[in-house]
Amino acid sequence: MANPPASQSDRPNATKNRRSFFAALAAITTGAVVVLTPLAVGVVTFLSPLLRKRQSSTVRVALLAQVPDDGLPRYFPVVADREDAWNRYPQQRVGGVYLVRQADEAAPTAFTAKCPHAGCFIGYAAGADHFQCPCHTSAFKLDGSRVRGDDEVSPRDMDQLPVELRELQLASGETATEVWVEFIDFQTGHKQPIHTT
Amino acid sequence: MSAIRTIVDWLDDRAGVRELVNEALYESVPGGSRWRYVWGSALVMAFVTQALTGIFLWMAYSPSTQTAWESVYYIEHEMAGGWLLRGIHHYMAQMMIVLLAIHFIQVVWDGAYRAPRELNFVIGLVLMLVVLGLSFTGYLLPWDQKGYWATNVGTELASQAPIAGVALKKLAVGGSDYGHHTLTRFFALHAGVLPALLVGFLVLHIMLFRRHGLHAKDRNRAPDTTFWPDQVLKDSVASLGILAAVLALTVWKGAELMAPADAANPYDAARPEWYFLFLFQFLKWFPGELEIWGAFIIPGIVVAVLFVMPWIGRSKAGHLLNVALMGVLFGGAAFLTAQALYDDNFAAWNEKTEDNAARYEASQGFLDAKQEAEHEARRVIELARSPAKIPPTGALTLVYNDPYLQGPKLYKQNCAGCHNYADPENSDLRWAYLVNKNPSAPNLFGVGTRKWISGLLDPKQIVSAHYFGYAGSPFVGDGDQTDMVDFIQESLSEDLDNEQRQAIQTAFKKIAAALSAEARLPSQAEADARDAEMITEGRALLTGGLADLLESGTSCTDCHTFGEMQDIGSPVLDDYMSRRWLLDFLSNASDERFYGELNDRMPAFAPHDDLRLNQLDHKSLELIVDWLRSDWYRPSQDTDASETANP
Repeated sequence: MANPPASQSDRPNATKNRRSFFAALAAITTGAVVVLTPLAVGVVTFLSPLLRKRQSSTVRVALLAQVPDDGLPRYFPVVADREDAWNRYPQQRVGGVYLVRQADEAAPTAFTAKCPHAGCFIGYAAGADHFQCPCHTSAFKLDGSRVRGDDEVSPRDMDQLPVELRELQLASGETATEVWVEFIDFQTGHKQPIHTT
Repeated sequence: MSAIRTIVDWLDDRAGVRELVNEALYESVPGGSRWRYVWGSALVMAFVTQALTGIFLWMAYSPSTQTAWESVYYIEHEMAGGWLLRGIHHYMAQMMIVLLAIHFIQVVWDGAYRAPRELNFVIGLVLMLVVLGLSFTGYLLPWDQKGYWATNVGTELASQAPIAGVALKKLAVGGSDYGHHTLTRFFALHAGVLPALLVGFLVLHIMLFRRHGLHAKDRNRAPDTTFWPDQVLKDSVASLGILAAVLALTVWKGAELMAPADAANPYDAARPEWYFLFLFQFLKWFPGELEIWGAFIIPGIVVAVLFVMPWIGRSKAGHLLNVALMGVLFGGAAFLTAQALYDDNFAAWNEKTEDNAARYEASQGFLDAKQEAEHEARRVIELARSPAKIPPTGALTLVYNDPYLQGPKLYKQNCAGCHNYADPENSDLRWAYLVNKNPSAPNLFGVGTRKWISGLLDPKQIVSAHYFGYAGSPFVGDGDQTDMVDFIQESLSEDLDNEQRQAIQTAFKKIAAALSAEARLPSQAEADARDAEMITEGRALLTGGLADLLESGTSCTDCHTFGEMQDIGSPVLDDYMSRRWLLDFLSNASDERFYGELNDRMPAFAPHDDLRLNQLDHKSLELIVDWLRSDWYRPSQDTDASETANP
């Protein structure tokens, strides 16, 4: 309080003005560097999830013998290694698929259980003639198409996953067939299936 | 007194305390203090409550996928007063939304947004968005099924936002999938970023409010007064009322904690908190790609309109338009909320007809899922409270290793297609979904108990659908394996006199006890120990003694192995229905110890040494077997044990 601030009339002259302009500029720049450096470093770390790519894994979901060719969906959990930041969980349930095999078809069709609308888990009650999503009640026929077509809240039919049959050679000399599925995660809400990776 | 005065003088000299206090307390209230002015202060009180309870919750909360649910469980169920702390935080959060709505309605109704208060109205809206953000982020933090799946829908929708949606979701979630970093980020937002924003904007809001003065409804209603003490008293009484309501809700309902979040086990009854329910319902109106209208464009336009309300409301007509808009907005939200609740509870409030079948089933699915989730939550909490506590891998491990929770699920997938599971005498709603009305195999309820085996040894019951009388059974009528049924029915044929009948029935009772003792069921351990004598007699009867009583002159071991090996395709009775026996039986019922080649229907679930070929892994079999044998952790067992340990 001993030194009150300079009054308007004590304003510095033009030279001083130029000098103080540079001083102000320098002060602002220095201050900005001091504040923005830690902020920028924080932001970079914060953005790091954008740099991480996820790859869809191809996983064994069932034996072919477990999928009778009666055209009815059967649910199988998808078990794969899962990483979460500093943890690695070996052989975790990471999602689910419905396998449907029509009469005389060699390979089943695989549908991911994730709803194309908002990502809920589509349900299937044994014996029912359609799949039903519990969230916004989208319904799908057993071939994955939407029951009410474009009137359904889901923007597209259920997402299909590539299926591969692999022969398993046993020690006994016998063979068994396994169903492998590429477990792709799709973006929700679009007319076209787009991978999230 | 003079000492206090000296201190105040000293502080005033250095910090101008008296002026600050004066400014804070002696704000003019034109037209006198009124109850209708309490809402702003009530909101500040609500926020202070959230900050206080939040900080103490923070001291006990641990954001990671293995510790979030666990630490919230610990707060809720183990820490002294934790349930109250969490309950207050939970219900005051909801109360804040209600207060915000009231505050907003009042400001718009009174036209209190007009110049020079436009900026403060805008700041108020920012505060409202921050509070909604706090609600959204807070819902996930307990990491229970409800919060996890509801928030999942929210972030999934965010990913559909035009242009940056996918990146936005990734940043919010901290990666492609929910995990540790979803929690750390949501928590940082919830406890750090958003509260800081809220405090900052709240300070501006109150500063501007003081600058403009109170927007008095009727300046001439009563003599002017000051904020302290008249209005402060009214504000405090209102705040007390709000706190009382929050406490009442906490005591009455408590803050819910569902089972721990499980990415592989969807929660079909996932719904957002009630105040977001109208948005949830709104989405059902937009099929296909129109969803973007329901999720972003229309809500975006609505929020934008809210922000320009002060400018729309400059004229009288504009103000009326604002009031009308607000009416439509709140009316619409109320309607959508009611519709969402009605849709979900449709099955509880209506009869099923042909026309409403789809709607009814969707609602029934919701109600069932909700009930099951509540049942599961109670069980996990029971397990977490056990002396073994929660393992370092988290509470999900408890869920996955519990026969009581996993047994019925595995049973439904693998067994319920053929077997019934129902108490023939009482219907137990817990297992209603496992009832098979057209079984093609025996009822497995209480398998191995004395009662179950007694039924098998009863001439009437053995031919009922609960045992061998199901449709297409090879054990009855024209079947090719009727020996067992014939044996039981002939042993207790109608021709017997009462005395003989009684003697044989007593013998069967003893045999049932002896066979059941082979199962070594934990639920029957006491009875087995008590009836040791009867069991010894029963063993003697089934290994030959019975033959002396029966006209046929045979006993159980003429067909079944019991100690001595028989080789005619009848199940071995040594360790009958014990854990080991059942595991082996489920692995391969066609093994010569069981039905051998006569097995015509029971799948072999794990007959191969090469584990890749088996339908079920060992752990799943164990869970099914333990559940069938009612061998799961019960809290009472444990109190018994500790009582005996500390007499």
